[in-house]
Amino acid sequence: MSVSLKVRGLAAGYGTKRVVEGIDFDVAAGDIVLLLGHNGAGKTTFARALFGLLEPEAGQVWLGDKEITGRSPARNVADGFAFVPQGHGVFRSLTVADNLELGGFVESDRSLLAERRERVYSLFPILAERSTQLAGTMSGGQQQMLAIGIALMHAPSFMLLDEPSIGLAPNLVDKVMQSVVEINRTMGTTILIIEQNVKASLPIARRAAVFKTGQKIYDGDPAPLGDHVRLMEYF
Amino acid sequence: MDLLVQLLANGLVNGSHYALLALGFGLIFGTTRVVHFAYGPIYAVSAYGAWVLAAHFGAPLWVAMLGSIVTGAVLGVLSYIVVYRPFERRGSPPLVVLIASLGLFIVIENAIGVVFGTDTKVVPNPPSGILLLGPLVVTGSQMLQVGAFVVVSIALGLYLTRARMGKAVLAMTDNAEMARVIGIDTARVSIIAFAIGSAIAAVPAALILFKDGATAHMGFLAVFMAFVAVVVGGVGSLRGAVVGGLVLGVVESTGMIRISTEWQSMVAFVVLFIVLLFRPRGLFGGR
Amino acid sequence: MDYLLHILVMVSLYIVLASSFNLLIGYAGLFALSHAAFFGVGAYATAILAGTYGLGFPIPLIVGVLVTAVLGVVIALPALRIGGDYLVIVTLALQVIVTTVLINWTSLTGGTDGIRGIPRLEVFGVVLDSPGKFLPVAAVTAAICFAIAWRLGASPFGRALKAMRENEAAVQAVGKNVVAMKLTVFAIASGLAAVAGWLYAHYFTFVSADAFTVELTIYMLAMVIIGGTGNLLGSVVGALVLVALPELLKFVDMPPDVADKARNMLYGLLLIVMLRLRPQGLLPESASASSLQAPPERPPVATRAEGAALEGKGLARRFGGIVAVRDFDISIPPGRITGLIGPNGAGKTTAFNLLTGFLQPNEGEVTYRGRSLRGLKPHQIVRTGVARSFQDLKLFTNMTVLENVLVALPNQSGDNLWNVYFRPWKVRAEERENIGRAMAILEFVGLGDRAGDLASDLSYAEEKLLVVARLLATGAEALLFDEPLSGLAPNALAKVMPVFRRLAESGRTLCIIEHNLDVIRELCSSVVFLDEGRKLAEGTPEQLMHDPELSERYFK
Repeated sequence: MSVSLKVRGLAAGYGTKRVVEGIDFDVAAGDIVLLLGHNGAGKTTFARALFGLLEPEAGQVWLGDKEITGRSPARNVADGFAFVPQGHGVFRSLTVADNLELGGFVESDRSLLAERRERVYSLFPILAERSTQLAGTMSGGQQQMLAIGIALMHAPSFMLLDEPSIGLAPNLVDKVMQSVVEINRTMGTTILIIEQNVKASLPIARRAAVFKTGQKIYDGDPAPLGDHVRLMEYF
Repeated sequence: MDLLVQLLANGLVNGSHYALLALGFGLIFGTTRVVHFAYGPIYAVSAYGAWVLAAHFGAPLWVAMLGSIVTGAVLGVLSYIVVYRPFERRGSPPLVVLIASLGLFIVIENAIGVVFGTDTKVVPNPPSGILLLGPLVVTGSQMLQVGAFVVVSIALGLYLTRARMGKAVLAMTDNAEMARVIGIDTARVSIIAFAIGSAIAAVPAALILFKDGATAHMGFLAVFMAFVAVVVGGVGSLRGAVVGGLVLGVVESTGMIRISTEWQSMVAFVVLFIVLLFRPRGLFGGR
Repeated sequence: MDYLLHILVMVSLYIVLASSFNLLIGYAGLFALSHAAFFGVGAYATAILAGTYGLGFPIPLIVGVLVTAVLGVVIALPALRIGGDYLVIVTLALQVIVTTVLINWTSLTGGTDGIRGIPRLEVFGVVLDSPGKFLPVAAVTAAICFAIAWRLGASPFGRALKAMRENEAAVQAVGKNVVAMKLTVFAIASGLAAVAGWLYAHYFTFVSADAFTVELTIYMLAMVIIGGTGNLLGSVVGALVLVALPELLKFVDMPPDVADKARNMLYGLLLIVMLRLRPQGLLPESASASSLQAPPERPPVATRAEGAALEGKGLARRFGGIVAVRDFDISIPPGRITGLIGPNGAGKTTAFNLLTGFLQPNEGEVTYRGRSLRGLKPHQIVRTGVARSFQDLKLFTNMTVLENVLVALPNQSGDNLWNVYFRPWKVRAEERENIGRAMAILEFVGLGDRAGDLASDLSYAEEKLLVVARLLATGAEALLFDEPLSGLAPNALAKVMPVFRRLAESGRTLCIIEHNLDVIRELCSSVVFLDEGRKLAEGTPEQLMHDPELSERYFK
């Protein structure tokens, strides 16, 4: 199940500061799009404004053909929009199994949850092994996998990931990227992934965009961004 | 030795009173991050509610208890919706909310005085009966206190781990932002936290009528002990709140051996300092 | 008539209490709910010394103030390490302890009965036994106490207190000793409250512990909040409002004890309403300096500075099991701008924290001008000449642009309260000079016309400029900037970058962390590449950026 995302003229910020301005963005249904940019370029602000954790100051956002500008996260989750925020957010004092169950909080048909949990376990076997372990005692990489698993529990049609690879060892980064591809392939979920780790994320993207100081300066084919020396110009 | 055992038992009984207060306060604080000082006066109003039913209308204990719980829950929810939520909406800093809570504390505490006067209200015919367990003497009202503590703790534990909204409460206490990210309506959970937290405080409120009676000023000590117990036990940990309450009760009671009665209440506060000095996050605290 | 005079006496009393409380809560941002305890100790000290022991003026007053000030310092000690909710509960607990001691130390304090028959004050042979006779003394005392508080608030020390309230880390980074400041303000605030206690004891001739409860602290808090935190005149207004307004209830027919409670309910409601409608209070925060009185001369800013190299040798720092920085050698020379780049998580900010004393290294040493910086606190390191800015700015948002820079200027005699009270002319003269210096710095970075505006009103680019100005003001010759230019649009960059070039040309030692590689190329003559906590390469921007291996690492 997949859905498209359309953004027109989005502006957002904190207090008197405008962090992003005049952003037009499109993610086609079923696509994997990568958003790059230096620290402070506005990628996270953009993500939060899309999902509803931050009220946009201007512009509009559509999920499929439904306008969702400034809606609360709860409504967006109910409509199939999943957000995996930066910093591998999990419920540290609860077990892996409880964390996953909470991921399915908005799902009214509880019978679907068991099957989805199995899918998460097959994607991340380490979570199955540690299903009764407290999330706060796991390593950063494991927590990141759990964070993605939580998002999968309500079978999203659109998933937004904010720097999932941050602080992870290279092999875990690969695992995360692979799982994103797998999710897109088997569930059809549209993916928008924000990253700083260009090397690992570029190969999985079908399209790529670059933000610099609050504006979008590149949007298109990911291939040219593979030339790191040239990439330096965008950062 | 017998004296020590008796004091310990008394301490656990008083501790269970504090533990319930701490549980309610900790639930509200852990979920909404509001330092709800008005918790104390609302606890007092609940006691008066029970008193009105028991003394004026001659209602049996369980009806008075029910009245107390309903009173507490309603006032708790109202205080959130009318006073705290508007500050939350506009993103006021936590200290502003705390000061507002102090203002609400004053309003409710004095309102009690206006409506009910300043004398102590007790209930005639407290539960009688004495249990003898070896060297221990346990009174009927003490048994009621401990019984109430056990029942409430178990009920709360079940609710938080089994019920859908109970799990939402735990989730929000653990990580409020992630709770929003997975689609929980945090405003609704806050209301539930205030309702349940105040209802929990209403239980020892009704029971106090049989012991010391209800006074307009009892609210301060109640919220203060609850706050101390929560800090000692570790903010965000309900288990810690219970342990904190029990520790306070026992220390207060056994402190009596060495220290004369009047200085007793200070002992609890000394516990606070010592714990904070060596474990600034409290006994079970993680934040 | 007598009743009106009584009200005025009470207002005088509360002016002392509210303004001293404001110094703690409003100026220093220390939320200590123990003020009624200070008041009570002062009152009891007077009661005991004047009443039980019959000692005459001024002994009860002086001893009362000293004892209470010592108590204030004791209560300050937990405040040194904790803040927020924890400070609230700890000071509340101390308040309760003091009340308990007052009630239970029966031999000294008369227990719950309190102390009666405190002798009245006598002035020029007149016994002050009526409100009308007492009022002049009360009013004069209130005026003196208010003047003391006012002088403190308006001084450079007061300005530093506000900055500490705004951001404690930043105020340390501009060279202020927060420990000394906290202890001092607690001592003064509690001492002033004790003076109010002295007045109280001699006026009512009777003290008892149930007058000095937490409800009284909340009453005083309401005065401070309603009048306006950070504005002492506001505390006068607050005292007037909360003492006088409830008197209007006299016109409503009520039994006396209900009237009391109704009055209290009124002020509780007033507090909540004020917080909702106007949380800053009736009177706005007062600025401690005005740019209007700036002298015409502006001392030159980018004067020739004798910068020296800042050296780090063999630095290592661990957090638990994670090694953030290791084998880190760096030499930052004067007269040029050195860039520090690296991917996320490379350890750049940790390196900065090590070089500037915000973190102590587990191994290795940092030297400046041949002196080791080991063991020095951040504010001491600033004084030796090494200062840093923060990635998240940490501006003093509720203070003016001018005050932000003023607070950072070094060697201010006005930071020392002895000078503030006993050599005010020196402080005043220096302040004029300092305003000139601060304005010169602001004009140097291009913020001259924003001097009187609040830092919170600045645009993002202007905020970045203020960060530079504040750091420059410290007088340190070694300046380390953490992402000073990130997030700036190209036209803003064009305005800001020349400032950095001029600073380097003046001989200062500059180092910047940046992600924006255009900036690095433009400004830095040499660049250090950091990854996994180690220095991997050092060279010119061109050399490093055309190195394919490094570029790959940068984008990981």
